[in-house]
Amino acid sequence: MTHEPRVPDDRADIAMEVCALRRVYKLKRGLFRAPGDIVAVDNVSLRLHRGETLGLVGESGCGKSTLAKMLLGLVEPSAGNVLVDGQEVDPRRRRALARHIQPVFQDPYSSLNPRRTVAEIVGVPLRLHAAGSAAEQRAKVREMLDLVGMPERTHGQYPSQLSGGQRQRVAIARALVLRPDILICDEPTSALDVSVQAQILNLLLDLKAEFGLTYLFISHDLAVVEHLVDRVAVMHRGAIVELGTREQIFARPAHAYTRTLLASALTPEPGLGLPEIALA
Amino acid sequence: MVNHLLDVKNLRVDLPTERGTLHAVRGVDFHVERGEMLCLVGESGCGKSMTSLALMGLLPRKATRRADHLRFDGVDLQGLSEREMAALRGARMAMIFQEPMTSLNPSYTLGDQLCEALHAHRKASASQARDRAVYLLERAGVPQAAERLRQYPHQLSGGLRQRVMIAMALMCEPDLIIADEPTTALDVTIQAQILRLIRELQREFGTAVVFITHDLGVVSRIADRVAVMYAGEVVETAPVAQLFAQPAHPYTRGLLGCIPVRGKTLPGSRLPSIPGVVPSLVGAVQGCAFANRCAQAQPACTQTPPNVSLNAQHAVRCVAALPDRAVVEAAA
Repeated sequence: MTHEPRVPDDRADIAMEVCALRRVYKLKRGLFRAPGDIVAVDNVSLRLHRGETLGLVGESGCGKSTLAKMLLGLVEPSAGNVLVDGQEVDPRRRRALARHIQPVFQDPYSSLNPRRTVAEIVGVPLRLHAAGSAAEQRAKVREMLDLVGMPERTHGQYPSQLSGGQRQRVAIARALVLRPDILICDEPTSALDVSVQAQILNLLLDLKAEFGLTYLFISHDLAVVEHLVDRVAVMHRGAIVELGTREQIFARPAHAYTRTLLASALTPEPGLGLPEIALA
Repeated sequence: MVNHLLDVKNLRVDLPTERGTLHAVRGVDFHVERGEMLCLVGESGCGKSMTSLALMGLLPRKATRRADHLRFDGVDLQGLSEREMAALRGARMAMIFQEPMTSLNPSYTLGDQLCEALHAHRKASASQARDRAVYLLERAGVPQAAERLRQYPHQLSGGLRQRVMIAMALMCEPDLIIADEPTTALDVTIQAQILRLIRELQREFGTAVVFITHDLGVVSRIADRVAVMYAGEVVETAPVAQLFAQPAHPYTRGLLGCIPVRGKTLPGSRLPSIPGVVPSLVGAVQGCAFANRCAQAQPACTQTPPNVSLNAQHAVRCVAALPDRAVVEAAA
């Protein structure tokens, strides 16, 4: 019996990859001015390793949400491609993509249908993908809601009857019910109070350990990013200006913009005062 | 008696709702010294915004406001007519809101809006008003201030709009500015600039500021003193360094524990969190409102908690903070 030499196959380690991704929005500026282009995402290449949490940080308008939408197949790239498990993603086949990759958005108020109960909301992906019999689907929904800490009595309630933290738990249950490998979390705790934020972050950590999930975690809150991620990508004006391990980015930031961003983060340390940030 | 600029005693705000009366503010006591920065910190629904609106006389019409007193520079605001209150607002007390786009009028130029406050409250010629507007816009870090006077709010970025709001609040040199989450809608780099600006101008003009926020990071960097609010009450008051070094109320300790801090929190570890949710403030609240989420709850917590003075500046509304030597104020 011969052992085949194991070729280190780093391809197998990559859950998702984007190459030279670009998105341009055409801008109409009225009758007498020439139309212009806004480059929301400019030539971004990223790899998401299996089982890692990659943080994506940057300020509003830097293109991080547009990038996330392209990963989810919700926005079509102007150029470049998205690969999941080494396969190029066809933007016309979003349903196939949804089995691998699911979103959790910032505002659970607007991302949950107000006319459906909690159990119905979480069951929708299963119905769309015709995953099992009705009884099996109900069992899966119950199991998932249990996992995210939604007690039985809330399953028949409507989103308006839930607290912000509970709504986000429902959004997470819906994202996970098809058992995807990758979760794109776009500011998942920004709309929540700090005491609730900690509960949701703990839940995301638990679920990751339970299902071996890969996270892309988008946030402007650097303290939360530092706590949660393995690597960080810093985005500025549509481009990734720095990419590194948590250690590298937070302890030894190389790019001037990363340093400005870190200096602006107001950690709860009285006596430090306010940083001096030059007018942009 | 010490003459505080603002002295609030037993402020209560009630709002009628379909489900019954909502007790949004339930007996709030605090004071503000001249020239100091007091941060009112708490989570959504704790009554911090209602408290500020009650002070400015800007509560929704259905709301009722009661207090033992609401003294501003020795005068009880409760005794003032609507006209007298309007004369005070903008002149001696000004307000900065979270979203400057909704507080600026889209159909008037910045110059009109800046000068309006001065014309309403002071005898000032058009050119005097204009000069002051330009001066304050420059002080607030607005580039090309003179040209900006002809611009409309939509022509400015969010950060610039908030600078304009700050300049507007300072037009009549008020004694007190109430700033309600003024940097929450801004990016972190802009937030740091705006906070620095507020702090600098506050010191330069000797203005007292009540700064309302949910962000303990912001509080730690700008406050002189802090009042922590929970469920319509002030549960702890202390100078900023003391509050962060020796938080005495279980809620304050819980809040501080929830935030990951570099060098203290192990990355990827479970964060401490406060179990449960904020109680409904519709109807009466018996005893301590935090008791059902508190790890240190004891039978005595079903009674109204005492306000315990730990020292001259540090007070906490919690029965667990009651050592024998503490001076106990009679619980109302």
